[in-house]
Amino acid sequence: MNIAIEAAGFGLVTASLLSLGAVGFTLQYGVTNVFNLATAGIMTGSAYVALQVNQAGVSIWWAMVVAGVFGGVASYALNRFVYVPFIRRGVKAFSMVIIALAVWTMMQYITLAIVGPGFFAFRLPKTHTYQFESISLTGTDFILIIVALIGMLALEAALRLTKFGKAMRAVATNAPLARASGIRVDRIIDITWITSGIFTGVAGVAISMVVVSFSYTTAGDFLVPIVAAAIVGGVGSPTGAMIGALVVGMVSEIGAALTQPDYKDVFAFALLAVVLLLRPSGLIPEKAQRKELAL
Amino acid sequence: MSTALVYYGSLLLVYGAVYGIACAGLNLQFGVTGVVNFAYIIFQAAGAYTAAVLTLGPSSPVSFQHYVGGATLPFPIPLIAAAAVGALLALGVGLLGIRRLRSDYLAIVLLAASLIATAVATNQDGLVGGAAGLALVPKPLGSLFGGIVTNESYNLFFSLLAAVLCAVSYVIVHRITESPYGRRCRALRDNEPAAMALGVSPFRHQAGVLLVGGALAGLSGALLVEYISAWAPSGWLYPETFVFFTALIVGGTGSNWGALVGAIVVPLGIGEGARYLPQFGSPELMVSLQWIVIGLLPLIFLWFRPQGLIPERRRVFAADPGAARDRSPEVTS
Repeated sequence: MNIAIEAAGFGLVTASLLSLGAVGFTLQYGVTNVFNLATAGIMTGSAYVALQVNQAGVSIWWAMVVAGVFGGVASYALNRFVYVPFIRRGVKAFSMVIIALAVWTMMQYITLAIVGPGFFAFRLPKTHTYQFESISLTGTDFILIIVALIGMLALEAALRLTKFGKAMRAVATNAPLARASGIRVDRIIDITWITSGIFTGVAGVAISMVVVSFSYTTAGDFLVPIVAAAIVGGVGSPTGAMIGALVVGMVSEIGAALTQPDYKDVFAFALLAVVLLLRPSGLIPEKAQRKELAL
Repeated sequence: MSTALVYYGSLLLVYGAVYGIACAGLNLQFGVTGVVNFAYIIFQAAGAYTAAVLTLGPSSPVSFQHYVGGATLPFPIPLIAAAAVGALLALGVGLLGIRRLRSDYLAIVLLAASLIATAVATNQDGLVGGAAGLALVPKPLGSLFGGIVTNESYNLFFSLLAAVLCAVSYVIVHRITESPYGRRCRALRDNEPAAMALGVSPFRHQAGVLLVGGALAGLSGALLVEYISAWAPSGWLYPETFVFFTALIVGGTGSNWGALVGAIVVPLGIGEGARYLPQFGSPELMVSLQWIVIGLLPLIFLWFRPQGLIPERRRVFAADPGAARDRSPEVTS
């Protein structure tokens, strides 16, 4: 039992990492419907950008901000210069998945060509370790959990309370109708990609901080759990993504602690498969979806 | 002809045949029916493990490798069993996924299945040899050559065997794609709601191509393991599936000749072609460049030549309504 409680602590940290990635992914996928597997490539790229900044003597938190900006710009460019041209050519949905996978493969190996196969580590500030029962969390872990929470709340608030968020939700529900109502769909989509890219970039850095030493494949290992979290939570909902991340993070960490450490991913993937088969619209289905069905 | 050339030539032929069989199966699934099977490589792996275990003999506790259900079966049985295991596994995965999921969700479930399979095979040491995999798999029909399986004549024999199996696979796939069944598969790919309105069951056709494609994947894996004598999880990571997708897109999605050409150009051509480039930079750089090319090719082809090198034949049906009526039972069955 103690092992399970200890693992729950790790699960909380894993959940915050997954949440950052999943919130970005769910926003982008919900609005644009592009199954962007290349998000893992952007996470990796952002981590190395942050590494450069960090090694230049800047604190890791400022490096994270820079990586977030990089992620936003890279996501924007990826959509504008790769996905949009293909979509305009009328490429089918299942070909888009392959295009995204192709882009990810290229990104991963371009990173390998540039940085090599070695492992790298950030220079992290020394922080106090807090102990609750058998759970131990460092100050860095706390900050990451708070960053994930604030990110999710900010995005949820933006989607619900601002006119801009309303426009985004409109595009997600029905893009042609949104365009007919005078919403500038292209601009909304650009901003969606930038916003999701910022989350992706921050997630890439956060993941690389927590695993301590990272290589060009580290962020990619988190791709399927992130997608799992987004789908488990119901695509398009930041709150759902965070709940999904919590479920996936806890299930995989506790499951691995009780069986074998290498089975972390197996639990995450099995959870994804089960949720998709039993409840394809996620644990908390989008409201918009229900509305669409009611019409 | 020098000995080295015979060896190299037979190696190219075997690899070409293995990739060719694999691409034929994936083309039936992805190219003809539109099932994005991101787990394709695990069916090849399952076939390879089946063939290896059924030729290695019972696992002994003193051996360096441990696995489940060893046996020593004579030649064609391990290959047939490999195809059967590939088919059943594909059908099992398919039954779980295809009935309910939209195509991009199915793709991610299959990708997840591929990752789970790798994790389980790597970590369960007693199942199929763990991370080290299986080695010293005996070659088939060695007794015909007096037990010597390293000489020229055996290599020629094996490459001919591979080529014949590849040819048989293409005949089978061709018969399927040219049949009414194949036509219904294409109808589902091009317009699923319209095909369903005509009474075509997506489930039956997707399950069918998963079965046949899984069998071909299993066969290709069995052939490969009998040739190279070893098999391990590092050889069937999920990006390997992507290589086959690249092959199909380059060759011509939906076209059987295209699948064969793609198999020769992409896995064989890029893998072997890299040997002839002068070594520059680090070994990682060479590997990276290969993968970057494999990632870049589908983008280039989808942009400039989406139909591939050998496009799928445009099928034109007789305008005569009488001729169409003669065919109608096939459409509704």
